[in-house]
Amino acid sequence: MKLPRRFLCVITDENRCPVELARMALEGGARMLQLRRKNASGNELFSWAIRIQELCRQNDAIFVVNDRVDIAMAMQADGVHLGQEDLPAATARAMLGPEVLLGVSVSNVEEARRAHADGADYLGLGHIFPTVSKEKPDPPLGIAMIEPVRKAVDLPIVAIGGIDADNASEVIRAGASGLAVISAVASAENPIDATRELIRKIWL
Amino acid sequence: MKFGHRNMKRTQQKLPRLMIVSNGREHLDARGLAERQARALPESESVLFQLREKGLEAGLLLELAHSLKPLLDASGSKLLINERADIALAAGAYGVHLPENSLPSSGIRKAFPELATGKSVHSVGAAVDAMKSGIDYLLFGPVFATPSKEGFGAPQGLDELGKVCRSVSIPVFAVGGITPEKSFACLEQGAWGIAAMGAFLDAESLGKTISTFRSYLPS
Repeated sequence: MKLPRRFLCVITDENRCPVELARMALEGGARMLQLRRKNASGNELFSWAIRIQELCRQNDAIFVVNDRVDIAMAMQADGVHLGQEDLPAATARAMLGPEVLLGVSVSNVEEARRAHADGADYLGLGHIFPTVSKEKPDPPLGIAMIEPVRKAVDLPIVAIGGIDADNASEVIRAGASGLAVISAVASAENPIDATRELIRKIWL
Repeated sequence: MKFGHRNMKRTQQKLPRLMIVSNGREHLDARGLAERQARALPESESVLFQLREKGLEAGLLLELAHSLKPLLDASGSKLLINERADIALAAGAYGVHLPENSLPSSGIRKAFPELATGKSVHSVGAAVDAMKSGIDYLLFGPVFATPSKEGFGAPQGLDELGKVCRSVSIPVFAVGGITPEKSFACLEQGAWGIAAMGAFLDAESLGKTISTFRSYLPS
C-alpha cells in the first residue's frame, strides 16, 4: 500500500455517520479515511469499516482503522492507526504481517524513532495546533517539530491537531506529507467543500 | 467448515466448570483485583478467567493480560479476553469472549484461528446462531437477578437456561446472580458450568469460594 505524495486524511468524529462522512470526504478528494469512534460497539465499528473500506476501494483511497487491530484483521482493512496508548506497534505489526499499512501517533523524535523501529509505515505527528477534537493536556507542538522528526526518521509525516484551511499550507511547507483532520471536515457545514478547500491548500 | 478440524480439537479439550469474570474496574497501575484473584487461585483449581475491562486502553489491557497469564498458567487456568481478539492473541490467551454486540464471530474465527471463541447470548435463537457460526462455548444469562450486569433485562430463569442448553451442542455457562447453592440447579438444566463476577470479588477468600462451588459441581 503506497501513500500518495501529498494527501488529506479525514478522520471520523463522534457525531456524523462515519459512512456518510466517508462518502463526502471521498467525493471531496480525500485519499485516506480513518475510522475512529471511541464509544461504538464492535459490531457497529465492523459494519462501518466494511462499508468505508468498500468506498475507499472504489475511490482509490486508503482506509485505516484506529486502535482496533482485531477489526482491521477481521475485515481486511488497508491499514491500522495506533496511538501511544493502544497496542504496541511492534505487536500489531507482527500480527498484521508486512502488507498492511501501519500508522503510529507520535509527539516527539524519540517516539518517532521507536515507531520506525517497530515497523510503522507513516507517523501521525501531533498535535500541531490547539485542538478541540481531543482532550490534550500537553501544549501543542507547533510546526517547528516537523523538521526534526523528518530528519530523524525516514517515514512520511501526517500532521494532526487543529489543522484547517488557514494553516494547511504552512504545515505542508514545514515538511508534512499529509494532513489529518477531524473537525475541519466532520464539523463543517459542507464536508465536501471543506475537503476540497483543504486539498487545494495542500497543493498550493 | 474450514476451521472445523480446529474446532473439534477445542471442544475436545474439557473446559473448566467455573469462569471468573473480572469486575471492570481495573486501574492504570494494572495491579488491581484481577491480579489478586489470579494469585489467589489454588494450584489445583483450573478455571476460566475472563478479563473484561472495557475502560482500559488496549496497551494497558495487554500489559494486564501479560501479567495475569503466568499466574493463571500456574493453576492450569485459561485466560479469556473480552471482545479484543488482537489482545488475546498478543497475550497468548486461550481465547476471546465476544459480547452480544461484538463484531461477527465468523470474521474473528477466520482472522484468529488460534483462539477459542466464546459468546454471550440472551436467547435461544442467538445461541443457535452462535453455535452454527463455530463458537466454542456460550455464556447465557442473566439466569438470576444480579446487581452487577444491569441492562440485560429481567432474569431469564432456569427454564430458559434449560431451553438454551437443549438447543445447542456446545458448552453453556450460566451467568447472572450465581451462587454456589444455585449453581447445581444450573447444571441440572444442562449448563456445563457457571460464570460469575460478584461471587469472586473477595480475592482473599477466593480459594474457599471456589471449593464451595466445587462441592456443588461435578469435576
